Amino acid sequence: MMRGILGLLLRALVVLTGTALATFTLLWNAPGDAATTIAMARFDTLLSDVVVAQVRAELGLDAGFWPAFNSWIVPLLSGDFGNSSVTGRPVWPDLVSAISYTIPTALAGLAIGLALAIPLAILATRHPGSWSDRFAVGIASLGAAIPAYWLGLLLILLFAVKLAWLPAMGARTPAHVILPALTLGLGVAAALTRIIRSGILEARRQPFLPAFRRRGVSDRDLARAHVAPHAATPVITVLGLELAFLLEGIVMVEVIFSRPGLGSFLVTAIGARDFPKVQAVVVVTALLFVVINLAIDVIYRLIDPRTGTQDA
Amino acid sequence: MTLSVCGLSAVRSGRTILFPTDISIEPGARIGLVGASGSGKSTLGHALIDALQDQGARVAHVPQSPDEALDPLRRMAFHWREAEQALGLPHDAARQHALFRALKIEKGDLRKRPWGWSRGMQQRFVIAMALVGSPDVLVMDEPTSALDPVVAARTMALLEEYLSTRQTAMVLITHDLGLAAQRVARLMVMDAGRIVEDGPTSDVLTAPQSAVAKSLCMHRNWLELPC
Repeated sequence: MMRGILGLLLRALVVLTGTALATFTLLWNAPGDAATTIAMARFDTLLSDVVVAQVRAELGLDAGFWPAFNSWIVPLLSGDFGNSSVTGRPVWPDLVSAISYTIPTALAGLAIGLALAIPLAILATRHPGSWSDRFAVGIASLGAAIPAYWLGLLLILLFAVKLAWLPAMGARTPAHVILPALTLGLGVAAALTRIIRSGILEARRQPFLPAFRRRGVSDRDLARAHVAPHAATPVITVLGLELAFLLEGIVMVEVIFSRPGLGSFLVTAIGARDFPKVQAVVVVTALLFVVINLAIDVIYRLIDPRTGTQDA
Repeated sequence: MTLSVCGLSAVRSGRTILFPTDISIEPGARIGLVGASGSGKSTLGHALIDALQDQGARVAHVPQSPDEALDPLRRMAFHWREAEQALGLPHDAARQHALFRALKIEKGDLRKRPWGWSRGMQQRFVIAMALVGSPDVLVMDEPTSALDPVVAARTMALLEEYLSTRQTAMVLITHDLGLAAQRVARLMVMDAGRIVEDGPTSDVLTAPQSAVAKSLCMHRNWLELPC
């Protein structure tokens, strides 16, 4: 048990350091001069070399890669995310406010995805190969084939422009979350439907099911108590990966719907080469991943305690 | 009351794998169904279960391996409760204990999942579960082939002891003539989807009539296993 926890912590540390280092390297080596970009974002105008040199010196960009990386990561070890290179304000409060917009969108997207995928998958597996199966798989393939940015625009066109039922831009009211969440949810549903469908079909092939049927267990109980848990195991594994796509998709969706949140926070920060902000998003996202994967591991072991007995 | 079914047959992908067969089973009978692999033993067993259940008889089935009878994700206690509920029986701790004691699995931890038990114990649990509704007929499909001979013999002996005071008939499907010889009074020999020989065990063993029965007897495993 202790070994397991230590292993997990070690893995988390490797993941976090790796991602932090990788993004810092990318940002550092991105074309264009970082100090000029930051200075332009700061003052919103073209500036003389003197000012740029001043910014460069102030942010420690002239000291080279490793000193710059260290001056970011050392305060982080004590929980200090540093100050924005552009505004000079601490990154943490802005980050928290961005997250507070993103988490509800992501959860709503996931909820919509599951709410669509589970009934569709059950419909599909009722008569495999029938028109209802093809319909469900078709919808799922269509959903997977439509990119989020296009789907988002179509939804805006239909619900905000044509029907004027829902607001499209911003985040003033709870209704503002519906269209972004729907955009995310349809994409999630597409992938999940196919996975849940094959999970159910696979679970139905379990060798013990005929014996249960002969024992007199009803089809309903069989589906609920035996097929569902076996179908759930692969789905839970994939759900972790799906959350990765969700976070990826949310960046795009937030930009499309001009919604404040981690996505717009990140896009603005990258545009301005705001190292501490970009790095903060990356660290928080990576941490989120580690936690989600840990949770999935735990759920997995609750359903099937055989997993993890050999491998910590 | 003697149970009888007529015209059991089975066709799979256009090929007849079980020709129309009649079987009657007296209360407390011990019937062995032997034959080579692919001769239609299990098919006949399944058809028999379905037909008897359709008649309203209580039939229980013990598959070849506990893997085919237990869900690895569910606890033993869940299996037991589910088996009781499927038969519409209320939970009865005394009955459960009696069955567990008869099959010597009373020390098994019901909170564990099947793989937390040894295979021999799992199979005995499956047999106990099959007996929970006091069935008229117990159909056992190669019940001991997944067990080592010593455990298999012990399991069969325990089961026989339990059944000796009851009316439950047993149909034992096996390719192990040695096992059948010791446990059943009547032998049916199957070949290519037909029962080719049917008679008292001693007659079939000493004077087999059909070619299949003769060859089975010749290849009988005469090594004296405890079963």
